[in-house]
Amino acid sequence: MVSAALRPVRTIAPHSLPRRTEIELRGVSQSYPAGNKGSKTVLSRLNLKVAAGEFVVVLGETGCGKSTLLRLILGQEFPTEGAIEVDGKPVTCIDARCGYVPQKYSLFPDRTVLGNVMYGPENAKCGYLARFRPSFFAYRRNLRAEAQAYLIRMGLRPQDMDKYPHQLSGGMQQRVAIAQALLMQPPVLLLDEAFSALDPSTRASLHEQLKAVWLESKPTVIFVTHNTSEALLLGTRLILLGRHHEARDGETNLLLDMEIPASQLPHSACVKSREFQDLLEHVKQLAYKSSSLCTDDADADPNVEEGNLG
Amino acid sequence: MAQTFRVSDLTGIQVRPARLWTHSLSWILFVAGIALYAHFSILRHRDNPEDRVIPSVTQLVQGIKASVLEPAEEDDPLDPGASLMQQVRHSMIWKDTASSARRFFIALLLLVPAILIGLHMAVFPYAGAFFLRFVLFFDKIVALSLLPILFIVFGIDEWSKIMLMVIGVAPTLMLDSYNIAGGVPKEQIVKAFTLKSSNLDVAYRIVLKQVLPQLINSVRLNLKPLALFLFAGEMIASTDGLAYRIAIMRRHMGMDVIIPYLLWVALLLFTLDALLRFTNRRLHPWYQPH
Repeated sequence: MVSAALRPVRTIAPHSLPRRTEIELRGVSQSYPAGNKGSKTVLSRLNLKVAAGEFVVVLGETGCGKSTLLRLILGQEFPTEGAIEVDGKPVTCIDARCGYVPQKYSLFPDRTVLGNVMYGPENAKCGYLARFRPSFFAYRRNLRAEAQAYLIRMGLRPQDMDKYPHQLSGGMQQRVAIAQALLMQPPVLLLDEAFSALDPSTRASLHEQLKAVWLESKPTVIFVTHNTSEALLLGTRLILLGRHHEARDGETNLLLDMEIPASQLPHSACVKSREFQDLLEHVKQLAYKSSSLCTDDADADPNVEEGNLG
Repeated sequence: MAQTFRVSDLTGIQVRPARLWTHSLSWILFVAGIALYAHFSILRHRDNPEDRVIPSVTQLVQGIKASVLEPAEEDDPLDPGASLMQQVRHSMIWKDTASSARRFFIALLLLVPAILIGLHMAVFPYAGAFFLRFVLFFDKIVALSLLPILFIVFGIDEWSKIMLMVIGVAPTLMLDSYNIAGGVPKEQIVKAFTLKSSNLDVAYRIVLKQVLPQLINSVRLNLKPLALFLFAGEMIASTDGLAYRIAIMRRHMGMDVIIPYLLWVALLLFTLDALLRFTNRRLHPWYQPH
């Protein structure tokens, strides 16, 4: 039962409500050559529709194809079978329809914090030659002020603006990376284990900030993570992927697609609530069951690291 | 508290030598080299005061003076009333340095496209497919074996020597540049495209800018091979240049000129290397060498 703490503030039912579909995967499979063993299937017959403004968290054990899914949506790879559309158009290459925040190497090391954040909007505004026009300098001044304000909202201090990425902590770098992606106002934001290398307190603060930014501008977010608590705290919809099993070739490895009830509590309080803990336990059990079904590993320990699938 | 030095520290891995120790140790081999030279020079001069194989300090000073203040034998003698500046400007070492430096820097300039080809090979898959196999093969050809062909094609004047340097170093620089640019994390390139970069933006504003410090380091490492090919060319067919002078002096057993020339060449390369290192540090304060 969902209590007041987890009462939905916004109901997202992607399959029932007439909302615009932002991302659609139809029968998507992805295989890679595996030496002399032929090929290894990572994703199998995946059908997925993500509505505009949804916050989808993708959960699953290592090697189940979470990052592959992201690369396919991004256009970095192409599926061996099936079709993918973003914003109503087929994905043919990497472009600015998707913002991207990877786990590491998320910033350009040769640019300062401001340089990193302003890079995208400057590109979007004009080409090389137009940069010599006086109007560009005026635009740049305004953009600088806007970027600074955005970064301060993301938790950076004014004195951090001219620092290089190597002078920032991991948490700060990811804040800048998120700001860099969001300032382009992409319809879709893809985060690939963006917070997994951070300590718990930095991660918690980034959760709050990401959620606040999402609630404000509502981009469609696909967030890949190993961490079940993180998934339940942030997302509005949870997708659980399992490893592809050769014996059940042809079946999809999308194991679970569920809506996550929204909570009005702050994250720190929400995590401690009984309802959240029950939900967490429920998802972990589901994940464990499905992963042991897939791997046929009866001895696998369901109580893997707190909140982590593996 | 500062730790006292123990002899066993010399073979320790976890020790941190004091600044004074680091500086003192770095000069020991220089001092030892000079001492050894002086020792053997004194020994030889005791038997033969006119010995020219290991010149004495006096002979060396005379050799340096002749190199720095007097014109080469093949040049016209200088007016006796010439100023010090004029003497230096018409000196043997000045003329040779200018000739060699001109060849060296023209070759260095001609190597810039090689670096860009390597970058393109790494960034653009079709460029990689087009160049890589050929460059890998070409890199295995011993450049000095091409010297006769170069003399036939370009004649024995400047261009054969410059092309020898370019052909000798270009494949290595291309492959170096290819490997360095290929090491840029894929995430950076993907990210750049999501930020509305064009292909050229990615190649030049993302990849090239990021790898430039490493490319400069690669050029630094290739300074010596470049000088080596320059010397090979100048020793075989030239009428001026540092290596030409060394080859001429060898015939006259002119060690009093050869040794200062060798030290001068080493000093020039060392200075150029230090200059590039300094420029690299100043231009790329963000660069964190691993």
